[in-house]
Amino acid sequence: MIEVFNLSRFYQMGHVTVRALNGVTFTIKKGQFIGITGASGSGKSTLLHLLGLLDRQTEGTIKIGGVDVSTLSDHERTLYRLKKLGYVFQDYALVPELTVEENVFLTSIVRGMKQTEYMQRTDEILKRIGLFDRKTHKQSELSGGQQQRVSIARAIVNGPEILYADEPCANLDSESSKTVLDLFKQINQEMGQTIVMVSHEDWHLQYFDRVITLRDGGIIRDGIP
Amino acid sequence: MNTNGYKTSFFLASRSIMRGSRGSLYLTVLIIAMVFINMIFMPSIIMGFIKTYEDQFIAYDIGNILVSPKTDDQYIEDIDGLIERLNSVPGVFRAAGHYSTGATLRYKGNTLGTTINAIKPNDERLVTNIHKRIKDGDYLGEGETGQIIMGIQVSGHRDKAEDMGPTLGYVSSGDSVTVDFTNGVSRELRIKGIIETGSYTTDQGVYITWDEMESVLGHPITEGSYVIIKTDPGVHEDTVKTQIYRFGIAEKVQTWEDILKEAMGRAIADFAMLNSITIIVSLIIAVVILFIVIMIKTLSSRRQIGVLKAIGLDKGIIVFNYVFQVLIMTTLGIILGIIVLEAMVAILTAYPFQFSDGSVTPVVTTADLVNNTVLLYGAGFFAGYIPAWRVASEDIMTAMRA
Ligand SMILES: Nc1ncnc2c1ncn2[C@@H]1O[C@H](COP(=O)(O)OP(=O)(O)OP(=O)(O)O)[C@@H](O)[C@H]1O
Ligand SMILES: [Mg+2]
Repeated sequence: MIEVFNLSRFYQMGHVTVRALNGVTFTIKKGQFIGITGASGSGKSTLLHLLGLLDRQTEGTIKIGGVDVSTLSDHERTLYRLKKLGYVFQDYALVPELTVEENVFLTSIVRGMKQTEYMQRTDEILKRIGLFDRKTHKQSELSGGQQQRVSIARAIVNGPEILYADEPCANLDSESSKTVLDLFKQINQEMGQTIVMVSHEDWHLQYFDRVITLRDGGIIRDGIP
Repeated sequence: MNTNGYKTSFFLASRSIMRGSRGSLYLTVLIIAMVFINMIFMPSIIMGFIKTYEDQFIAYDIGNILVSPKTDDQYIEDIDGLIERLNSVPGVFRAAGHYSTGATLRYKGNTLGTTINAIKPNDERLVTNIHKRIKDGDYLGEGETGQIIMGIQVSGHRDKAEDMGPTLGYVSSGDSVTVDFTNGVSRELRIKGIIETGSYTTDQGVYITWDEMESVLGHPITEGSYVIIKTDPGVHEDTVKTQIYRFGIAEKVQTWEDILKEAMGRAIADFAMLNSITIIVSLIIAVVILFIVIMIKTLSSRRQIGVLKAIGLDKGIIVFNYVFQVLIMTTLGIILGIIVLEAMVAILTAYPFQFSDGSVTPVVTTADLVNNTVLLYGAGFFAGYIPAWRVASEDIMTAMRA
C-alpha cells in the first residue's frame, strides 16, 4: 500500500549538501508492523517525516494507496494526515491544557463527528489502553508511559491507514517501554493496523514483522528480524 | 475553514483560557478592562459637562426656544401680540417676553455695569426655573414695583473668595441698591431675592418687573428684546420651531440646540477630537498588549503548533484558536470594564464633580458602550490574528523542531 521509489531528502548547509536520505526504494504492505533502525543520523526520522507527509522529498516518489502524495497541495496533505495517518512522537506531544479524553477526541471534532459518536469511540479506546479511569486527568497527572499510551489512543482513535511512531519509547524506562510496545503489537494484531516505527533498541526488534536498517541515508538491510 | 474548524478552534481556546496560566489571564483581562474604561470614562465626563451646560441653558437662560428680532431690528414690535400668537402654537407651553436695557448698580461705593431684564413674573415662572433658585428672599411678584432680584455673582458672596468677578460686595435681600438707567433715570430698588443656580451666566442676571421698567421709561412698553419659550414635555423643539414659522411669525426663531451649536460648535468639535484621540490611544494600547500576549503564547508553543498541524489541524484552526482566546479575554475585560464603569457612574451620580458651572455627572450611553465594544473586538481580532498567523505559517518541520 506504500510504494517508495528512489526517495531522497537533501539538506543544503552552506556549501555542503547533507544527504539525509539517499535514494531508497521499498514497499510496505497493509497490516505490517515495520521497524526502521539504524545508527543516530542515519536518516530514520527523515524517512518517517517523508512517509508521514510532514516533509517534502528532494527526489523520488511516495505512493500511498496508488496516490502520488507529492502532487497534493499543503491543504490536501493536511486533510490526508487528518483522515488517513496517525502519529506517535517521542515526547508524546499531548496538548497540556486538554484532559486525556479531550486529547483523544480533538481530531474527531475537526472531522465533524457527532459528540455521542466520538465520546463512545474515545471511551472504547481508553478502555483498550487501560486509561479509562483517567479520562478526565490532565497530562501533568500521568506518567510518561501513560502519556504515551494516550498519544497512541489519539493516533488510532479514528482508524488511520498507517500509524507512524518515531522512537516512542526513547523517554521511557524499560518496563513502560514494554507496555507501550505490547500495546502497539496488540493493535497491529487485533485491528490489523499498519505500523511504521523507528527504533534503535535491539530488544525491540522481536516485535516487528520486518526491519529496515539504514546507514548514511541508504538501506543496508531489509527483512525479517 | 468550515464550522468544524471554528468549533475546534473555540474548543482549544476555551480550554486554554480555563486551564492556562491564571496570572497572565487576570492581568490581560484587567488591562483590557482599563482600556475599555479609559475609552469611555473621559468622554463621558466631557459629555456630562456638555449635558449640564445644556440643561442649565434651557432651565435658566432661554427655555427651549428663543425668538429674537429680525437681523436688522433692535426690538420686536408688538411683543404682547407676538406672545399671544406664540402661546397658541401647538407644542408651546408658554412664551415669556424680556425687555433688556443697560444700567449701573451702586451700593456703598461699589459700582457695577450690567444688563437689566424686565420680565412678567407669572409668565417667567412657567418658562424658566429661576424662581426655584432663590436662595435668599423671594422671587418677583406680578405687577409689583420698587423691587429687584439679582444673581449671586452680582450681589457678591459673604466670602469674597467665592466671587468669580466684580460684584456689589455682598448685598442681601432687604438691602437697597441704586440703579442708574441709561435714559438718565435713577432709582433706589429694594433687593427682593438673590438667585443662585450654579451657572455663572445665570448668576449674573438682574431682573425687575415689566411694570417697574414702564415706570422708569415713563410709558407703556409695546416692544421687547426677545421672547423665550418653554415647549410641552416630550415635544421636539424643531417641530415646534417649524410650527412657529408656519404661524407666520417673521422673527428669528432658534432652538436651544441651534444656539449652542452656533456658540459652542468649535468647542464641541474640539471635544470630539479629544475623545477620538483618547479612543485611538486606548485602542493602540489594547492592540499592543494583546499582540504581545499572543506573540508570547504562540512563540512558546511553536512545537505544539507544529504537532497540531501534523495531526491534521490546518493553519486556520490554529490561528482562530488564538483569535478566540483574544476575543474571550476581550469579552471578560469588557464585562469587568462595564461593572467598574457602572460603579464609577453610580458613585459620581451620588457625589458629582463640582465645577464652576455646576455639578457634572458622567453620561454613559448605550451607544458609547456598543461602539467601543465593537472597536475593541475589532482591535482584538487583529491583535490576535497577526501574531498567530505568523507563527502558524511556519513550516511543520521547522515548528516541530523548535
Ligand atoms: N533540518 C535539517 N537540516 C540539516 N540537516 C539535517 C536536518 N535534519 C536532519 N539533518 C541531518 O540529516 C541526517 C539524518 O537525520 P535524521 O534526523 O533523519 O537521523 P535519525 O536517524 O533520525 O537520527 P537519531 O537516531 O539521532 O534520531 C543527519 O545527518 C542530520 O544531521
Ligand atoms: Mg530521529
